[in-house]
Amino acid sequence: MRQWWGRYGVTTGLSIAVILGAWSFRESNGRIAYEIYSQVSQPFGIPEDRSRQLLDARTQELSAMLAEQKQENSRLQEAIDLAPDGAGEPIFAPVLGRSADHWWQQLTIGRGEVDGVEVGSIVTAPGGLIGRVISVSDTSSRVLLVSDSTSRVGIKVTRSRSTGVMRGLGDETTSIEFFDKLPDVKVGDTVVSSQFSYRFPSGMPIGKVTSVDLSASPAPRAVVTLFAPLDILEWVSIHGKPDIPPEPQESAESEVEILTDEDDE
Amino acid sequence: MRWPKLSRYLTNASVTLASVLLCLLLLPARLPGMELLGVAPNWLLIWVVAWSVKRNLWQAALAGWTLGLLQDGMSEQIPSRALSLLVVGVLTALLKKQKYVQEDFISVALIVFAMSAIAETVVALQFSWYSWRGIAPFTFERLSEVWAYYQDVTLASALLSSMWAPALYYPLNYWWRQMYLLEMNSAS
Repeated sequence: MRQWWGRYGVTTGLSIAVILGAWSFRESNGRIAYEIYSQVSQPFGIPEDRSRQLLDARTQELSAMLAEQKQENSRLQEAIDLAPDGAGEPIFAPVLGRSADHWWQQLTIGRGEVDGVEVGSIVTAPGGLIGRVISVSDTSSRVLLVSDSTSRVGIKVTRSRSTGVMRGLGDETTSIEFFDKLPDVKVGDTVVSSQFSYRFPSGMPIGKVTSVDLSASPAPRAVVTLFAPLDILEWVSIHGKPDIPPEPQESAESEVEILTDEDDE
Repeated sequence: MRWPKLSRYLTNASVTLASVLLCLLLLPARLPGMELLGVAPNWLLIWVVAWSVKRNLWQAALAGWTLGLLQDGMSEQIPSRALSLLVVGVLTALLKKQKYVQEDFISVALIVFAMSAIAETVVALQFSWYSWRGIAPFTFERLSEVWAYYQDVTLASALLSSMWAPALYYPLNYWWRQMYLLEMNSAS
C-alpha cells in the first residue's frame, strides 16, 4: 500500500485536484472564463453614434408596440391583456460571442451584474424580443435565444388573438403550436408575446408567420421567421424582469377558457 | 544548462493549462474563417484528441472528463459533455496502438473528423434519452427534432474541427515532445 502510494500518490492527488477544479468550474457556469473573455474582447466604451442609432431603432419598435397596444385596448372583452412592461430605460450591451456549444443557441454579451443585469432579464434587439438572460458574471452574461429548442414563449397572433406556444428550431425560424383546434392564422401574420408567457412581458414583437400547417398533430402548427437578424446582431438591449409573473398553470387554464368561450359564440 | 525538475514540471503544467484556457476563450468567439452555418470548431475536442494521441488510457479518460466538465460550465449542464469527450479521449488513446495511423497532420485531421462525429452522436443520444424519458423539461420535444438538428450540426462541426485541428495540434504536440525529450535527457 505504501509502495503504491509512493508511486502513484502524486498522480492520484493531481488527478483528483484537476477533476475537482473542473467540477467547480462547471458549477460556477464558467464564470472565470467568461470574465476573462469579456475583458479581452470588450470594446473600449460605447461609441455615441451607435447608441443613437439604437435609440432610433428602439423608438420605431416602441411605436410598433404602441399600435399593437391600441388594437389591444379596442378589444375590451380581453381586458386581462396586460400592457407590456416598458418600465425603465434599457441597458445596451455589445454582443461578444455566441454559444460555446453548438447544440445551444446563446449569445455572450458584455454587460453583467455590475451593470444591473440579472438572471431572467429580457433581451431585445432591433426587431423585437430575442431571448432572456440565463447566467451572469460581473461584466458579461449569457442569453438563451428564442431560437433555441429549449426556449418556450407564449405568443399570440396580433390580427386574430389566436394564442399558442412558440419553440425554437435551432435556426432563424421557430415553430408555434396553437391551443385552439382551428386557429385563425395565415401567412404574413405578426406574432407577439402574450400574457400567457410568464417569462416575458406581453405584446413584444417577435416575428412573422411564414407557413401554416393546420392539420399537424397534436396541435395546429405554424412556422415563424424572427424579425431580429440573430446572425448579425452586434448590440442588444436588456430590460428588467417582467413585474408580476402570474402562475403559469392558472394562466394556461384561463387561456383555454377564453378560447372555448369564443368558440361558443 | 540543466533545467531544474520542479520548475520544468511547473512550466509544462502552466503551458498546458494556458492552452486549455485559450480553447475555452475561443469557444464563444466566432472569428472570420472559424464559422460555418453558425457553428465554430470544437476546440476542446481537438485538445482532447491532441492530448490523447500519445498518452495512455487513463490520462486520456481523465482529460476527456475534465474538459467535458469545463465545456458544461461554458454552456449548459444537461446533457453533460463530459461523457462525449470521455469517449473521444478513450477511443483516441486506443486508436494509437494500431500501426496504420500515422502521426501527421492528415491523420490527426481525420481522427478529429471521426471523433467529432462520434462526440455529436453521443450528445444526440443523450438528448434522445432525455426527450424519450421526458426527464429534463427544457430539451427537444421530439426525437425527430434531435436527429434533424444533429444532421445539420455534425457535418459542419466535424469539417471545421478537422480543418482547424493542426493549428492546435502542432504547437501542443511540439511542446510536449520537447518536454518529453528534456525529461529523457535528464533521466539518462
